[in-house]
Amino acid sequence: MDAPFVTPTLDYHALAPEIVLVGALAALILYDVFSSELNKRVTAAIAQLGLLGAIVPILTLWAGDPRSMFDGAYAVDKYAIILKGLFLAAGYLVVLISVHYIGEGDYWEGEYYTLLLSSVLGMMLMASARDLISVFVALEVLSIPGYMLAAWRKRDLASGEAGVKYYLMGVFATAVLLYGMSLVYGLTGQTQLRAIADAFASGQAPKPVLSLAIVFVLVGFAFKVSAVPFHTWAPDTYEGAPTPVTAFLAVASKTAGFVALMNVVAVAFHGQTDVLRWMLVPLAAITMTVGNLIAVRQTNIIRMLAYSGVAQAGYMLCPLAVMGTFVKANDMAAADNSVRTLLVYLIIYAAMNLGGFAVVIAVARRTGSGEISSMRGMFQWAPGMMMALAIFLGGFAGIPPAGGWFGKFAIFKTTMDAGALNDGAGYFLAFLIGINSVIAAFYYVRVIWTMVSGNEGDLPQAPLKSPAALRAAVFITAVAVVAIGVVPTLVSHITDNATLIAAATGR
Amino acid sequence: MSGSGAQAAHTAMDYSDFLRQWLTVVIFGFLALGMVGFMLGVGSLLRPNPGKGGTYQGQKYLTYESGVDPAGFLWSQTQVRYYVFALLFVMFDVEAVFIFPWATELERYGTFGLIEMFVFIVLLALGLVYAWRKKVLQWL
Amino acid sequence: MLANQFLLLGAVLFCIGVYGVLARRNGVAVLMSIELILNSVNINFLAFNAMWARNGSPAHISGAVFALFVITVAAAEVGVGLALVLMLYRTRKSIDVDKIDALKG
Repeated sequence: MDAPFVTPTLDYHALAPEIVLVGALAALILYDVFSSELNKRVTAAIAQLGLLGAIVPILTLWAGDPRSMFDGAYAVDKYAIILKGLFLAAGYLVVLISVHYIGEGDYWEGEYYTLLLSSVLGMMLMASARDLISVFVALEVLSIPGYMLAAWRKRDLASGEAGVKYYLMGVFATAVLLYGMSLVYGLTGQTQLRAIADAFASGQAPKPVLSLAIVFVLVGFAFKVSAVPFHTWAPDTYEGAPTPVTAFLAVASKTAGFVALMNVVAVAFHGQTDVLRWMLVPLAAITMTVGNLIAVRQTNIIRMLAYSGVAQAGYMLCPLAVMGTFVKANDMAAADNSVRTLLVYLIIYAAMNLGGFAVVIAVARRTGSGEISSMRGMFQWAPGMMMALAIFLGGFAGIPPAGGWFGKFAIFKTTMDAGALNDGAGYFLAFLIGINSVIAAFYYVRVIWTMVSGNEGDLPQAPLKSPAALRAAVFITAVAVVAIGVVPTLVSHITDNATLIAAATGR
Repeated sequence: MSGSGAQAAHTAMDYSDFLRQWLTVVIFGFLALGMVGFMLGVGSLLRPNPGKGGTYQGQKYLTYESGVDPAGFLWSQTQVRYYVFALLFVMFDVEAVFIFPWATELERYGTFGLIEMFVFIVLLALGLVYAWRKKVLQWL
Repeated sequence: MLANQFLLLGAVLFCIGVYGVLARRNGVAVLMSIELILNSVNINFLAFNAMWARNGSPAHISGAVFALFVITVAAAEVGVGLALVLMLYRTRKSIDVDKIDALKG
C-alpha cells in the first residue's frame, strides 16, 4: 500500500516458447469445439505445429545470452533451454506415436492433444522455475493432465485403474511435498531457491526441522520419479494406460520430475550435504537394485520397461547423491558437472525409451498383446522394427554402438570421482552400477534373443505394416540413439555450458 | 541484548493474553454444557413417561413428526448431472481468488495489471466456451 | 510466538490426513483426507507468513501467495479426482479403493 507498484519487466523473447504453446492450445480448443466430428484429425496437426513452432524461439534463445525474470525466479539459461528443447521434442514424438492409436480408437482427439500440450507447457515452466511457488505450479500443470490421460480409455477397467492409482499416488506425493515446502518457507522466510540456499548457509535454521523439511520434499519427488520404495504405482499405471500415454509418462513426466529434483536439490539444498547423502545414497542403491531384480521376472514387455525405468531412475539418482561430496570438497565445478551428467542421461534415456514404446505399439497393432513371447520370430516378419528395438534395448543395457553406454559411463565416472574424494559412498554406488548393468543386460538380451529366434511350429507371418507416423518416430529415435552412441560429443557439447548451480547461486 | 530481552517479555505477555482469551471460551463451553444438561434434565422430569416396558409413540421416529409421511429409503441419490455444474462452479469460483487481490488495488497496477488480468480471464473463458460447446451448460 | 499453536494444528491435521489416505477405503474419503493435508499446508504457510511479516522479512508476502496457489490447484486436483471416482463407480459399481486390483500390484 505504501510502496509504489513497480511494473515487472516481461521479457517476451524469453517467454516466447511458452507463448507459442499457449497460442497453439487456445487454437486447439477453439478448433475442437467449433469443428464437426469428422475433422478431428486436424487437431493432431495443430498440436504438431504448436510443438514445432515453439522450437523456433528455443533456437533463437540458444544463440543469445542467458535471461532471467522476476528477480531470478524464472531463468532461461542454457540448462533450461536444453530441457525445453528436450520436452518439445519428446512431446512431438509422443504426438507422432499417438496419431493412429488415438484416431482409430475414437478417443476424444481434441481433448487428448489439448491435455498433452498443457502437460508439455508445465514441463517447460519447470525447466525455468527457480522458485518454490513456480516449481509447485509447474509440477501440477504437468501432472494433472497426466492423471486424465492415464485413464483415457474410460470404459476400460485397466485404464481406469491406472488413472486412479496414478492420481492417488501423485496427489498424495504432492501433498507431502507441499508440507515439506511449507517447512522450508517457515525456516527461511523465502520461496526463491537461491535465497533459500543463502538462508540455509547462514546456519540459523534448527537442524532437526531442516532435515525433516528436506526429507518431506525428497519423498514427494521420489514418488514422481518412481524411486523404490515409492514406485508401486508405476508398473500398474504403465500397463493400464494407453501405450502412447505410457510413453509420455515414462519419458516426459519422469524427466520433469528429475528436473524438479535437480532445481530444488542442486540450487536450494546443495549446502545440506549430509542430509542429502543419507537420504539419496540409499534411495539410489535400493532403486536400481530392486528395479532390476523385479524386471528380470517380467513376461510383459511394458511391465519390463516400467521396472527397467525404475532401475534407470536409480542410476539417475546417483549423480545427485554424490553431488554433496563435491560441494563438501568445495569443488562447485564438479558439483555442476554431476548435474550435467544427469542432463546427458535424461536426453539419451528419452530417445531410447520413446523409441522402445513406439516399437511396442507397432507390434501390439498386430499381436494385440504386450507379452514378450508374442514377439517371437519378429526377425522374420518385422526386421526393421526388430533392429530398432534391439538398438534401444542395447542402449538400455549399455552395449556400445547404441547411445546408452555414454550416459551410463558418465554416471559411473561421476561416482568414481566422488569415490576418489575419500567418499566410500561414491565407490559403493559405482560398484552397484556395475553389478546392476550385468543383471540388466541379462533381461534385455533375453528379449532380443526371443525376437531373433523363430518358432518352428509357426506358419510364416505376413510382414508387419506400420503407419508412417509411427515409423518416423521409430526412425528418428533410432538414428538419435546410434548417433549419440557413435559421436557422444553431440550431447556433451550441447550440455557443456549448462551450469545450474553456478548460474542460480553465483558460486 | 536488551532488544532480545524485550522481545522475550513481549512474547510471554502475548502468550498469557492468548491463554486468557481461551479461558473465556472454556467458561463459555462449560456454561453451554451446563445449560444443555439443565434443559434436558427438566425435560425428562416434565414429559410423559411411558413407564417400565412401555414404548414411545411410533410418530416420534418419523423424519417430519407432523409433516408429510416420508416415502422410500432415508438415503436417496441426487442426479449426477448436478456434479458437472458443481465442478464448473467450484473451478470458476476458486479462480476468482486471483481476481480479488487485483481488484482491490486496481488503480495501482494500472495498464499492466489490466492486460495481465485480461489474458487470465480470456484463458478462463476458453474453459467456459469448451463447456458451452460440449453442451454441459444445458439442463437436459 | 503465536505461530506454535497454528503449527501444532497444522501437524495434527497433516497426521489425520495421512492416516485417512492410508486407512480409508472409500475413494471419496481418501480425497477428503488429501484435502485435509493440503489445508494443513495452508495453515502452515499462513502461520509462517504472519511470523515472517512480524520479523520483517522482505519476502514475507510469499507465504500467503503460496497458500492462494495451493487452494486453486487443490480445487483443480479434486475436480479431476471426483471425475476419476465417478468413472470408477460407472465401470465397477464400487468406489472402494482396495478393490481396484485388476492389474497385479
